[in-house]
Amino acid sequence: MIQLSGLTKRYGDKVAVDDLSFTVPPGLVTGFLGPNGAGKTTAMRMILGLDVPTAGTATVNGRAHHELVRPLRVIGSMLDARAVHPQRTAYKHLLYLAQTNGLPVSRVHEVLDVVGLSEAAGRKAGGFSLGMSQRLGIAAALLGDPPVLLLDEPVNGLDPEGVLWIRTLMRGLAAEGRTVLVSSHLMSEVALTADRLVIIGKGRLIAQGEIGEFTGTGADVVVRTPDAAAFARRLELSGAHVRPGGGDELLVHGMSAPDVGRLAAAEGVTLYELTTRHASLEEAFMELTRDAVEYGSAR
Amino acid sequence: MIDAGALRAEWTKFTSIRATMVLSLATVVVSATFGWLFANAAAGEYATATAQERLDFQPLDMGTRGLFIVQLLISALGVLVASSEYGSGTMHASLAAVGRRGRLVAAKTLITALTALPVSVAGVWLMYTIGQSTLAANGAPYVSPGDPAAVRLLLLAPVVLTLLSLFGLALAFLLRSTAAAVNVSTGFLLVPVLASASPGFLRNLLHTYWPNMAAFQTVSGASELPPLLAYGLFAGFIVVMQLAAFAQFKNRDA
Repeated sequence: MIQLSGLTKRYGDKVAVDDLSFTVPPGLVTGFLGPNGAGKTTAMRMILGLDVPTAGTATVNGRAHHELVRPLRVIGSMLDARAVHPQRTAYKHLLYLAQTNGLPVSRVHEVLDVVGLSEAAGRKAGGFSLGMSQRLGIAAALLGDPPVLLLDEPVNGLDPEGVLWIRTLMRGLAAEGRTVLVSSHLMSEVALTADRLVIIGKGRLIAQGEIGEFTGTGADVVVRTPDAAAFARRLELSGAHVRPGGGDELLVHGMSAPDVGRLAAAEGVTLYELTTRHASLEEAFMELTRDAVEYGSAR
Repeated sequence: MIDAGALRAEWTKFTSIRATMVLSLATVVVSATFGWLFANAAAGEYATATAQERLDFQPLDMGTRGLFIVQLLISALGVLVASSEYGSGTMHASLAAVGRRGRLVAAKTLITALTALPVSVAGVWLMYTIGQSTLAANGAPYVSPGDPAAVRLLLLAPVVLTLLSLFGLALAFLLRSTAAAVNVSTGFLLVPVLASASPGFLRNLLHTYWPNMAAFQTVSGASELPPLLAYGLFAGFIVVMQLAAFAQFKNRDA
């Protein structure tokens, strides 16, 4: 479990993370979403004890990172997969990390195997592709067999096979009862993996909840009928909110498709089309973060 | 405070990149080379020197002039122990793994001392042996290993060099960059070169009290300061640098 409580980070006048409080429960994959510059990485760095909070606390299984005696056994992390000395082999990189936490050498071989890098263990990390670096980063995160995992944009720059691999891995880790927090600036990336979402913008919490809660909102019913104008008035009288969709199309909000269909039958209105259209997660995300985008394009 | 795992990890880091290994070897090779070069040149001068100049001839100083260059290399070795982590970005992973920052500083300090000491011993002893035997072979006076001055050099010069590696380490923590730390270290250690071109007060200050000069002058027995004061000055300076580095590292965002 990861707990943030009033977590704040200021750099001079600029507030990177602003009074952020949320809990990341075990057994689930939690997507940590926000536009670029929203403060995701800064928040993660504070969880890992790399940056000192201006105010508030971040705890991992109830303790601040600097209180952990063997941190890798509690929280595994990947912030920047490219942060490996280019002359150091993958094996030596993992070996020194394992040594800091008194982990056996056998564990290094195990995680190399898990991420499929056993063959490349003796190669220098400088020659690794981005995909291999990401796998090495994941291996480092898994070293201490930690109950909590923190991954910053783990699928960035991966090929489809690598993306699928990471998704499967994260789901598996959560299924084992681990806490998994994975950040991304793209909703579509986490939509397929995450059980929960925490969305931030400009350092502040915008929304959080089960992933289903984000798709539930904003469903429209699309109706096409030759009597559009008259039927729109009838729908409004029944409490629905109706926008003209152009031509014979109506976009109905606040009434389910079956109710629209029943009303049409009762009124004897001919329908050409009756469709429920869920707002995609991507649209929900855009809607939520519209005001929080650091450098948005003009609308 | 000293954590065996963190220390082992530092050894793995030290031995798994080229720069630290090459620099360690280079320090020894350069020591031996300068021992021969300066002794060879000094022997040549001695051969054509006047009687008075021959009386003033200092074989030990002549043979160990190269220490002034070697000190730059050993300090750079200390720099690399910390700066290689900043350069490659592994400082974040290392900190997230070790947790308490004091442990990481302690482990780096110890690994720097433990690697710089054998390198310094090898360098100084080779420089002495090659330098003095070159003088002897060319018919110039030399100082044999039993001489108290030679013993002082062989025992204390490696300690001074090892402490200078900690000076480099502290600079790397403070400046977080190999280039910046090496430049500042080199500039600082070479400031005494300006002494001979400075007016009296400043010359005396640089020559006697500048930390690395205070130490080297005492090793060669030429200092105006009592040995304990000179070494205390130097060691105190190293301790202050280390404390400054630790204080900053502990409180600053990584």
